[in-house]
Amino acid sequence: MGRARTCFAAGPGYGDRDVDLPTQLLAQPDALMLDLAANSRESAIIALHARLALSPAVTDAPKFLHGLLERAMMAPVCVAPDVALPHARTDAVSRVVLGVARITAPGVGFDAEHPHVRLVFMVGTPKSQVEEYLLAVAAISRLLKAEGVRAGLLAARTEAEFTALLARGARR
Amino acid sequence: MKNTAIDPAMELLRRLQRLLRWRLWVREKLQLSDWQVTLLWAALAGFLGAMASMIFSALAEGVHELLTGSSAGVVESMRHLPWWGCLLVPTLGGAAAGLVLLYGSRLTRSQSSTDYMEAIVIGNGRVPVRASLVKSTAALFSIGSGGSIGREGPMVQLSAVAASLVGRWRLFTGPQLRLLVACGASAGIASAYNAPIAGSFFVAEIILGSIAMESLGPLVVSAVVATLTIRVLTAAQVMYRVPEFQLYSPWEMGPYVVLGLFSGTLAPLFLRSLKQSEEFFLSLRLPIVARLALGGLAVGVIAINVPQVCGNGYSVVVQILNGPVVWKVLLGVVACKWLATMASFGSGAPGGVFTPSLFMGASAGYLFGGAVHAVWPAGAVNPGAFALVGMGAFLSAASRAPIMAVIMLFEMTLSYDIILPLMLCSVIAYYTAKGLAGESLYSASLRRKAAAEPEPVLPTGRVADLMRADPPTIPAAARFAEIAQTFLSVRVNNLYVRDDEGRFLGAVSLHDIKPYLGQPELAELVIARDILREDFPRIGPDQTLSDALGMFLGFTAERIPVVAPGTGRLLGSLAKGDLLLALVEKRRKPVA
Repeated sequence: MGRARTCFAAGPGYGDRDVDLPTQLLAQPDALMLDLAANSRESAIIALHARLALSPAVTDAPKFLHGLLERAMMAPVCVAPDVALPHARTDAVSRVVLGVARITAPGVGFDAEHPHVRLVFMVGTPKSQVEEYLLAVAAISRLLKAEGVRAGLLAARTEAEFTALLARGARR
Repeated sequence: MKNTAIDPAMELLRRLQRLLRWRLWVREKLQLSDWQVTLLWAALAGFLGAMASMIFSALAEGVHELLTGSSAGVVESMRHLPWWGCLLVPTLGGAAAGLVLLYGSRLTRSQSSTDYMEAIVIGNGRVPVRASLVKSTAALFSIGSGGSIGREGPMVQLSAVAASLVGRWRLFTGPQLRLLVACGASAGIASAYNAPIAGSFFVAEIILGSIAMESLGPLVVSAVVATLTIRVLTAAQVMYRVPEFQLYSPWEMGPYVVLGLFSGTLAPLFLRSLKQSEEFFLSLRLPIVARLALGGLAVGVIAINVPQVCGNGYSVVVQILNGPVVWKVLLGVVACKWLATMASFGSGAPGGVFTPSLFMGASAGYLFGGAVHAVWPAGAVNPGAFALVGMGAFLSAASRAPIMAVIMLFEMTLSYDIILPLMLCSVIAYYTAKGLAGESLYSASLRRKAAAEPEPVLPTGRVADLMRADPPTIPAAARFAEIAQTFLSVRVNNLYVRDDEGRFLGAVSLHDIKPYLGQPELAELVIARDILREDFPRIGPDQTLSDALGMFLGFTAERIPVVAPGTGRLLGSLAKGDLLLALVEKRRKPVA
């Protein structure tokens, strides 16, 4: 497994973050793993979840993992050929949490149409926060569609470079 | 070289999303609420009611011309008939009406009572079509042959039938159907008297017993559309053209108070006499054809010398209001008209006694005003004004609907100057009649029918009674694009989400997804399960309507899902509009 870092930023507080939520999340993800070595969708999700579960915002790690896997099995979670966005709305988190992982080449297959996923953005949202969920997922999806962002993220050599790209993309 | 190629599939999806967003925006801006939709149906009921009334009126005139050979008014036609013609025409008309009822009953044996009031008040809103047509056809003969009876009854009945058919075609719930039938009745009254306000209040005050906006609004729309239709197609104008009346002195209010007491006493007597006459004819145990022919013959006998007894009394009322009338002649006409109405109504001739009541009130008022004028001219300067006020007072006492009576008199005459004594007199007459007898023009009929057919028809207070089956649903795996499409195709703000076993999982709110409709990247990523609200309120089919009301007070939604308590299966939905209508219905008091 490659280098990993966890940031336990308190994260944006509930109620005053509608506008800034995606920017804050992307600029300071709750978990970041570059060069994650995984050989399947499940192993990628489990590894990133394990890191994200260190955040105090994840109050019930097994339940969160169950929600992520269940959702991934229910319908595709990929937003681009090499990007997956496993997500769950669950009582197991107390606020919106984001974990980001870059998987070593050639990546893992998330479904038949996405056999080489390299970037994984894991989102957990409290059940009651439908609007925040949509806000976060839409912003991440939009960011990853932007020209050059995916290539930049895949080529980033350091965590600082990686998060700077995310932050810049989010501000855009 | 920079790659500028655009994925055609993505571009198509993007355009589809943009189109969906715009369509949803337009739809939301133009979206009709349940109440607005109800008003549209009420307008249709009003139009159909006016058409039904006009057709009936034309047919009644056709029958009249066929039987008398004259296209003049009923009184005028009878005046020109020889004595044997006066006897023959009402008798034949009665017999024909009896034959229609006799043979028509074979077609309608399995159908329940035809009365539109029963359908609204104690029924399920389904007015039997065949039975109503049979009764209305019979009424054509009794009215066309000069029976002393009004045509407004069958007109309202047919109008209500048309509304009931529309509601049944659209699979309306019980409260909705009853309201639409009430709209039909409102249109019928408005068409018959060219009086939209009175038409609305007639139904609201007498039949529904409530002037809550939930029901009054549709009644008003229906009555207005009906009146407009009648005015456009027939150039109808004010029903009773009257000279300018005014209150010459405050001292006149004294006699008006007495007129209120007088009318309030006379109206119950009139109604009681009609009932006794009905009992008398029934006691004869004659076949229906003979009974109606006998009623017609009695009218004919009187009409030989007093043709004014024929018809609903409209032309005589116009004469009284425009005076002067010789009081001795009028007294004789009133007595004869009373007897003729007893004969027609008592024998069972189909028709109404609403307009004959106006005749009785106008006559009583004129005679009273004339008597006061004779002994104290300053107390009753114009007896015609007393005739007008007497109409309202008598109607108020007979129908037990003083608001409707005041409004109707005002609308039918457009004489505002008389409003003060009219209001006072109508209220006094109402209380006088109420103190003397417990029955009104309509409550007697309703009570009899309720006793004969006591099946419970008011909502019993359970959610299941008002539940609508098959609400719009989506599966938990429905994609964002599919959800947006469903919102476009059904007029709801919340889509219910169910699992494969039909269990209710929650609801997706249009409010939640609206800001994201322009983002094609969500179309394939987000599914219903991701955005459903699991805490969406739900209710069981056996819970009370009070429980449902409490739920609606607690959150903003037009519908609540009805879920089976044990299995969690989605059974249907409860609409707030249906609940409010049911509560309005439950609040109404028995007709006094």
